[in-house]
Amino acid sequence: MRLNRTFILFYATLSLLVGCKTNYLPQVTYANNIVVDNTIPADSAIIAFYTPYKAQLEKEMNKQIGYSNHYLTKVRSQPEFLAGNFFAEAMLHVAKQIDPQTTIALATKDGIRAEVKEGPITVGAMFELMPFENTITILELKGSDILELCDFIAKTGGQPIAGFTMKIKDEKPVDITIAGEPLDLKKTYKLVTYDYLANGGDYIKGIVNPIQRINTPYTVREQLIKYVEELTSKGQNVNTQLDGRITILK
Amino acid sequence: MEELQYLNRRKFIKGLAALGLIAVTSCFSTISAKPKEDIKITILHTNDVHSRVEPFPLDGSRYQGLGGAARRSSLISNIRENEKNVILLDAGDMFQGTPYFNLFDGEVELEIMSRLGYDAGTFGNHEFDNGIPGILKNFDKAKFPFVTSNYDFSKTDLAGKTKEYIVLEKEGIRIGIFGLGVSLEGLVDPKNYEQVGYLDPVEVANRIVPILKNKEKCDLVICLSHLGYSYKDDKISDLTLVPQTKDIDLIIGGHTHTLLDRPTEVRNADGKITLVNQVGTGGVRLGRIDYIFNPISKEKKVSYNNNYDINTKFDK
Repeated sequence: MRLNRTFILFYATLSLLVGCKTNYLPQVTYANNIVVDNTIPADSAIIAFYTPYKAQLEKEMNKQIGYSNHYLTKVRSQPEFLAGNFFAEAMLHVAKQIDPQTTIALATKDGIRAEVKEGPITVGAMFELMPFENTITILELKGSDILELCDFIAKTGGQPIAGFTMKIKDEKPVDITIAGEPLDLKKTYKLVTYDYLANGGDYIKGIVNPIQRINTPYTVREQLIKYVEELTSKGQNVNTQLDGRITILK
Repeated sequence: MEELQYLNRRKFIKGLAALGLIAVTSCFSTISAKPKEDIKITILHTNDVHSRVEPFPLDGSRYQGLGGAARRSSLISNIRENEKNVILLDAGDMFQGTPYFNLFDGEVELEIMSRLGYDAGTFGNHEFDNGIPGILKNFDKAKFPFVTSNYDFSKTDLAGKTKEYIVLEKEGIRIGIFGLGVSLEGLVDPKNYEQVGYLDPVEVANRIVPILKNKEKCDLVICLSHLGYSYKDDKISDLTLVPQTKDIDLIIGGHTHTLLDRPTEVRNADGKITLVNQVGTGGVRLGRIDYIFNPISKEKKVSYNNNYDINTKFDK
C-alpha cells in the first residue's frame, strides 16, 4: 500500500511537471549498423521477383558491340585519362555528323561513371560508363568563353576533352590550341557536350551563355554505343590513347 | 482510490495531490492504454541504394560482394521476427547506378522496397534524373509514403503526392518523420526541376519539428535527410543542421555515401544529443537504432529533463 501510494504521488507530480505525452524517456540501447554480406541468406521470394527483370537486363547488357585494345581507366588525379578521352572523342565524332563545324568536345570527370575493361565491349559497359539519360548538345561559343572554360578546366586539374589541347601552369591555362591553331579570342567555336552540362551542371564555367545552342534528342549513351558499333563495322577496335592533350607544367 | 483519499487528508500535500489528481485524470486514458513494460522501437534504414538490386559484383571494387535486396529482405524479416516494433526507412537516391534503373525506370527498386515493407522514404537528387515524369512513371509501385518537407512540388504533377511529414504509432509511442532534400542546383539538370521550389532546410526543420513535438505529440522525431553528412565548406549538412535545430532525435542521412559503424552524436541548439547516421551506398549496410521507452519510475529523475540516456553499450 505504501509503495502504491508513493508511486501515485510520484506519478501525479511527474505528470504535472512533464505533461501527458512525455511520460516516456527514450533510451538508445543498440545502434550498430549491420553489414549485409554473404552470411545473410538471400530471400528467395525477392530473387524470384527480380529474376525475370534480370534475365531481360542481362540479355540486353551482355550484347557485344566492339573491342577495346586498352583498359580505359579513370584516374581522377590525372589531367587526362583513357575513359575520358574515349568519351569525349566519341561525342566529337557524333557531333561532326550532326554539325560538321563542331571542332571540340567537353565532358567532366564527374560524368565519367566507370572504367571500360580491355577486350570485348558490351552494351552494359556503356551503361556503366554513362548511366544518365543526357542528350548531345552543340554550343557555339565565343573565343573568350572558351578561355573561361579552359580556366575552369585548369582550376579543376583537367577535364575530359577532345579537339583541343592546353597546358596548365599554376592552375591557369596556357598554350591553348584548337585544331592545331592557337585559340583566337575573336573567333567562335562549336563545342559538343551534353544537356546537363550545357544547363550549368557540375558548376562548369564558360559554356552557359552560348551564341547558339543545338539541342538533339540523341542520348550520349546510345551515341557511345553507335560509335563503337561503327568502328566494329569498319573492322576497327577502340584504340584510345593518352596524347598529352592536357598537361600540367611543374 | 483509498490511497488518494488518504493523501487528501494530509494537509501538507493536499494542494499537490489535488493538482496531481487533475493530471492523473487528464492523462487517465493515456496511462491505462500504455503498458508498464519497456517499449522498444527498432529503426532500420538504408540510403543511396542506387538501384543496387543484386550485390556488388566481385570485381575488386570497394564493396564487392556486399549488399543485395534479397539478403536485406532476409535480414529485415529476421529482425521483425524478434522485434515487435520495427520501422524501416530510406533517405533517398533509390534510383540510378545500375541498368535496372535505365531499363525499368524505377519499377524494380520501388517494387522491392514495397515488398520489404518500407514505412517511408524521401527523395535524393538522383530521383530527379529523369525529371518529375521520371518520378511519376512508377510512383504507384511504392506502397509507402515519401516525406519531402523542403521541396515545394505544388506547381508540378507531383503536387499532393508526397507528405510534409508523417506520424507512425507503435504501442502508443508516436514517431514523427519528416524529410529534408539537398538543393538540386548543380546536381540535377535545371529542366528536370524548374518547377520545384526549394525551401531552406533549417527553416523547414524549425517549423515542422515543433508541430511534430507539440501538435502531434510525438515521442520520437526522425529526419530523413539527403543533405549529406558534412562538407569542407559551409554548405548545409546533417552535422551543421543539428546545432541549428532542437528536438530531432535522429537524422537518417544520405547523399555523401558516408559509411558509419554507428551513429554520430551531435549537440543540438538545446545542448541535447541528436544522432546522425548513414550507411554508405548500395545497401552494403543496414542501419539499426533501438529506442527503449521506459514508463516513468522512481529511478528516473524528471528534473534532469533529458530526452536521452545514451548508455555505455552505445559508447563502445
